[in-house]
Amino acid sequence: MAERAVRSLRTRLLAWYVGTSLLVLATVGVAVCWVTWQSRVSAVDAELRVQARRVSGAVRARPGGAFDVELPSDATAYFQQARPRTYYAVWTIRGRLVDQSRPDLGLPAAPVSGARTRGASREVIVGDGELTVLVGRQIDDVREELWSLAGTMALAGTGAMALALLCAWLVASRALAPVQRISETARRMAGGELSARVAVDRTESELGQVADALNLAFDRLHEALERQSRFTADASHELRTPVAMLSAEVDWVLMRERSAAEYREALEACSRVAARMRGLVQSLLILARADSGELSVSRERVRLDLVIDQAVESLRQLSLDRCVRVESAMMPVTVEGDSERLLQLVTNLVLNAVVYSPPDGLVRVALTLEGNEATVRVTDRGIGIEADDLPRIFDRFYRCTSARTCEPGGAGLGLAIAKWIVDAHHGAIACTSEPGCGTEFVVRLPAHQAAGRVPGTGPPPPAPGERAVQGLSRV
Amino acid sequence: MRILIVEDEPDLARTLGRAFGEDGYAVDVAGTGADALLKASFVAYDTIVLDVRLPGGDGFGVLAELRARGGRMPVLMLTARDGLEDKVRGLNAGADDYLTKPFALGELLARVRALIRRASSDPRPELTAGAVVLDTSARVVRRDGAVVELTAREYAILELLARRKGSLVTRSAIYDHVYDEHEDTLSNVIDVHIASLRRKLGRDVIQTRRGHGYIIDG
Repeated sequence: MAERAVRSLRTRLLAWYVGTSLLVLATVGVAVCWVTWQSRVSAVDAELRVQARRVSGAVRARPGGAFDVELPSDATAYFQQARPRTYYAVWTIRGRLVDQSRPDLGLPAAPVSGARTRGASREVIVGDGELTVLVGRQIDDVREELWSLAGTMALAGTGAMALALLCAWLVASRALAPVQRISETARRMAGGELSARVAVDRTESELGQVADALNLAFDRLHEALERQSRFTADASHELRTPVAMLSAEVDWVLMRERSAAEYREALEACSRVAARMRGLVQSLLILARADSGELSVSRERVRLDLVIDQAVESLRQLSLDRCVRVESAMMPVTVEGDSERLLQLVTNLVLNAVVYSPPDGLVRVALTLEGNEATVRVTDRGIGIEADDLPRIFDRFYRCTSARTCEPGGAGLGLAIAKWIVDAHHGAIACTSEPGCGTEFVVRLPAHQAAGRVPGTGPPPPAPGERAVQGLSRV
Repeated sequence: MRILIVEDEPDLARTLGRAFGEDGYAVDVAGTGADALLKASFVAYDTIVLDVRLPGGDGFGVLAELRARGGRMPVLMLTARDGLEDKVRGLNAGADDYLTKPFALGELLARVRALIRRASSDPRPELTAGAVVLDTSARVVRRDGAVVELTAREYAILELLARRKGSLVTRSAIYDHVYDEHEDTLSNVIDVHIASLRRKLGRDVIQTRRGHGYIIDG
């Protein structure tokens, strides 16, 4: 916890803030002290110069080359004051000491003129050609004043710093509170509470934008997870019914000894169920792989008319069984795409048309080149689709009432797969229907450019085989 | 006992129909909710096995309509959804029991048997009529401890009367509960079965109310 506090953003922000402020305050303090010191010292120097002139003015030359110092009374007072202690000394230009205010000054031989600090004193030395005058003054009072100034500034600085720190702490806490909320929300989300969202106060602030972006991401995630769980629920629902049929059939036949005909009938029923489950599992796998992006669509030149031929051929037996005639009228059209998926697309559409046609019905499959689009039309005269159902027929697991009544075996995945295949080929699929009269599906795919009518340019279509019935399911 | 199976998967409906038929029930099958409601308006079924997912309105709607029309028969719902919500919804709508697909056929038969037992005046699995004892789970009839061999139809008639012990059961009620919709038979066939039952169980068990029907005195 302590380590976390050290590492927390707020602590680090505050540390930087405090560090910078301290540096600034210290710099200002040092500068103020320095300037004050300088001004005080130059004031002392000016004072000493005045006194030095007075001392120099009070020097009288006596006969015999000797000098005498007769200070005026106020100057005498100045040099006798106790605090600050002051002193003077006078030398001849040759360096002979003329006079000094105290005997214990311990001054060196006559120095050069100027101002200097020696020990705890400030000294000014003035030379006028004949004499050198030194006037000194202890400056511990100036030093004390400066220390006191520094102390006051440090105190005030500390106080101001503490106040600023408090304010900064509050501001940082306030500013970072949304971060706390965001991380709290993200944790709740991760814990499975998918509806958790960050409350956004001010969208224009940076954190508000972060919260908005996160909420959007959460929405997407929630949606995806819900779609996933709905898909799983629907899939398991679709699988339960055939499993129930299988188990009921097997339970029944094992209840007692049965005749050979009864065994055969039961096994046939089981086989029907198994075929249905096979198709369902195939469809589910295709959609699950499409969702996770594992299912790729290859891009090769495909003769769509040959693909349609193959699809119609693979459904020949079924259409014969149901006495439905399938007619096709096609132009040779080449598209760019995945021949296997396109075969599945056409097969799903034609299968639906056949299954929902009445006996002696007619299904037409037409392929034309309209503009730059390969257009496939699959038309039946079957039961049709109610207007209410039309917008939802491409949804997964959606089954129209009429379809369920007439063909209970389907799971409602065929058109979802068809739609996915069309989308993956950048095409469009549409449906028009009149209940009781028939349905038409129109698929438009971008034709392979400028090669639309050149026969034999595409690779050979996949060999006819059982692949055609993979993933079949009904509306 | 006559039951209605409402199931839109023809293979499953056929299997269930045969299984219940072999268990001594007269079975009718409906493939849609509308069909089920129509059949239930003509026949007082002893139990309805109702699939939730039906074309043309789901099982919940059918159940609500049945109850709204005053149908009091036990209803067992079959569903492919096992969410708690659906169970609660089904039970709240007036279902008496609930079974999730896939189910074991034996469990479905046992639950329907239990529902019929609970709905009758005597909820014990063993019914008595004088010296005659019916073990309804094993479908065995004993008189004074000795097993009496009955045909399926005779057993069905005896069980119906025993379940309504003390109350009069009309000939047409017997006809409704013992024969399914596909059996077209004369109602005097029931008299033949009653006569046979009396021969096997003794004359004192089933009383005749001339012009009305039959009764096992309580």
